[in-house]
Amino acid sequence: MNNRNIISAADLNKTFDALQVVKGVNLSVKIGEFISIVGKSGSGKTTLLSLLSGLERPSSGRVTLNGCDITDSSENELALFRRNTVGFIFQSFHLIPTLSAWENVALPLFPVKMHIEKRKERALELLRQMEMEHRADHRPATLSGGEKQRVAIARALVNKPKVVFADEPTGNLDSATSEAIMDTLKSLHEDNGLSLVMVTHDLDLAGSSDRIVRMQDGEIVS
Amino acid sequence: MDLRYLVKELWYRKRRTLTATIGLAVGMAILITMNALSAAYTEAARMPLKEIGADITVQLAGDVPENLTGPVFACSAVTIRKNDIDQIRMLTGIQGFAQALLVWVFDADRFTIVLGLDPSNPDGPGVLRSQVTDGRFLEKGKKQALVEASFAKNFNLKTGDTVSVAGETYPVAGIVDASRATKIAVAHIYLPMEEAQKMAAASKQVQAVSPFGKDDANILFIKAAPGQIDALAHSIKDILGDRASVATPASFLKQLGSLFALSDKFSLVTSLIAVVVTLLIVLKTMAANLTERAGEIGILKAIGWSNGNVVSQIVGESILQCFIGGILGLLFAILAASALGLMHVSIPIPWEMSPTPHFLPGGGDPIFLTLRLPVHVSWKLAAFAILLSSLIGAVTGGFLSRHSARIKPSEVLRYE
Repeated sequence: MNNRNIISAADLNKTFDALQVVKGVNLSVKIGEFISIVGKSGSGKTTLLSLLSGLERPSSGRVTLNGCDITDSSENELALFRRNTVGFIFQSFHLIPTLSAWENVALPLFPVKMHIEKRKERALELLRQMEMEHRADHRPATLSGGEKQRVAIARALVNKPKVVFADEPTGNLDSATSEAIMDTLKSLHEDNGLSLVMVTHDLDLAGSSDRIVRMQDGEIVS
Repeated sequence: MDLRYLVKELWYRKRRTLTATIGLAVGMAILITMNALSAAYTEAARMPLKEIGADITVQLAGDVPENLTGPVFACSAVTIRKNDIDQIRMLTGIQGFAQALLVWVFDADRFTIVLGLDPSNPDGPGVLRSQVTDGRFLEKGKKQALVEASFAKNFNLKTGDTVSVAGETYPVAGIVDASRATKIAVAHIYLPMEEAQKMAAASKQVQAVSPFGKDDANILFIKAAPGQIDALAHSIKDILGDRASVATPASFLKQLGSLFALSDKFSLVTSLIAVVVTLLIVLKTMAANLTERAGEIGILKAIGWSNGNVVSQIVGESILQCFIGGILGLLFAILAASALGLMHVSIPIPWEMSPTPHFLPGGGDPIFLTLRLPVHVSWKLAAFAILLSSLIGAVTGGFLSRHSARIKPSEVLRYE
């Protein structure tokens, strides 16, 4: 782990209509650190993840990601920033049903000027890493939940991100598959030094991380 | 825009793609077919004049002959004076000009329709040159006659014989099958113009009803420059006055009457309805598709697609889908046009253009030019339909994608 911060959030607040969902959050994540944000449903952890990753703009406060203050960036600047700097893993996988596994992995590269063969090569390399190469030409409907999440992890890594945000990555999986997925995430963090921010309500899973951040009613409580 | 993604979206969402594509194809097929049908009627209306090598024919109505003996003029084709002819000839927009002289000759032993023409002029009755079945066509300056095939058969006339009309005898230069060429200005005997003019000028019956000079005529055949027909017809009426009978393709369209009027207006209305309905079908299908894919679009944005990337992808899908619909519509329309092309249409020829006196047996019968409806899909119409289809795709895709591209990627996470 490096001592420099990959993410810094200062006095973050987010309000939807009259409801304040995130209240005065200050949080730093170091380069290569794996943190888990835990809390009950409605505690504001997913909103905090959205603010930290540039998916959502804060109502007040500032977010610095990989040395860039992204608080006032435009929509297109944020899109470009996400394409180059971050990876996302979602609870419901969110694979495109009409595309094959390797095409889903390569999806973030579609807007990038890159030869199709190079894109495919990169996607297949990641699917190999996820032990999913044999399913490269299958569409999501024919994959199991665990396989879909492995494809989603490969997609999160295809742009060589500095930090990966995972929102309940095992929420839709059985316990055996959840363990396997967590092992994959841990090895990515340990072997490749990837910074990882994971939202979960499962304290056992959070136990695998370097640090646990607890949220309650929009505030970090520990 | 990624072509692979674009094609797969259309291929794997078959129901939606087919709904939009077939809807658009049917709309485009209706638009193309109705316009091809309308163009076919317009083309058919040109045929009676085209067959006589003209875009416009001009006659002047006059009085009925007092006495049907010797050479007389039909009351629908009396003298057009040389100075009027010269004035008309000078009008701008004229590409070809021919004059003729139609004379009814009531001899003691038979009735003969004579048409004087200029043998050196390829326009107007000059088109008969290609219909000579025996002997040769008339030659300028020679006193000779060309005899219509059925008349020659009735009176046992052959090339090299002589034929007598109004007391003059002419050697038969050839036989012409005019029935294969035209319904207008068809005659029994064709003479060089100056011979017919001499005959009319010498006739007391002609001079009594419609004074005739040796350089006058009574039918004009005009070829007009593109787009000049109506303007020329108007100018000619200004020169000759109210009694002028100026036949143009438009006047034959009027003869087709309610059938064409229905087809013409119907084609315009149905074309407009087809385009609007097609637009709505594509719009509705696309909107439903994008609503269904809102989460997918949010994910694309989350993983780094810009608004522009999303818009171009959706517009690309929409254009390709509509382009395919346009091609399919064109194929449907070509099939429909082939079927409609088997239909026949009968174009009524106005009585005043019939060369036969209406008081003779069969002369009062309505005459028609019957031909196959020339329905074909022109390259211009096909290209227009394909372009319009693609434009519908671009407009609907552009309109809907702007809204879809504004989806916030965080919404996908929030509602998960």
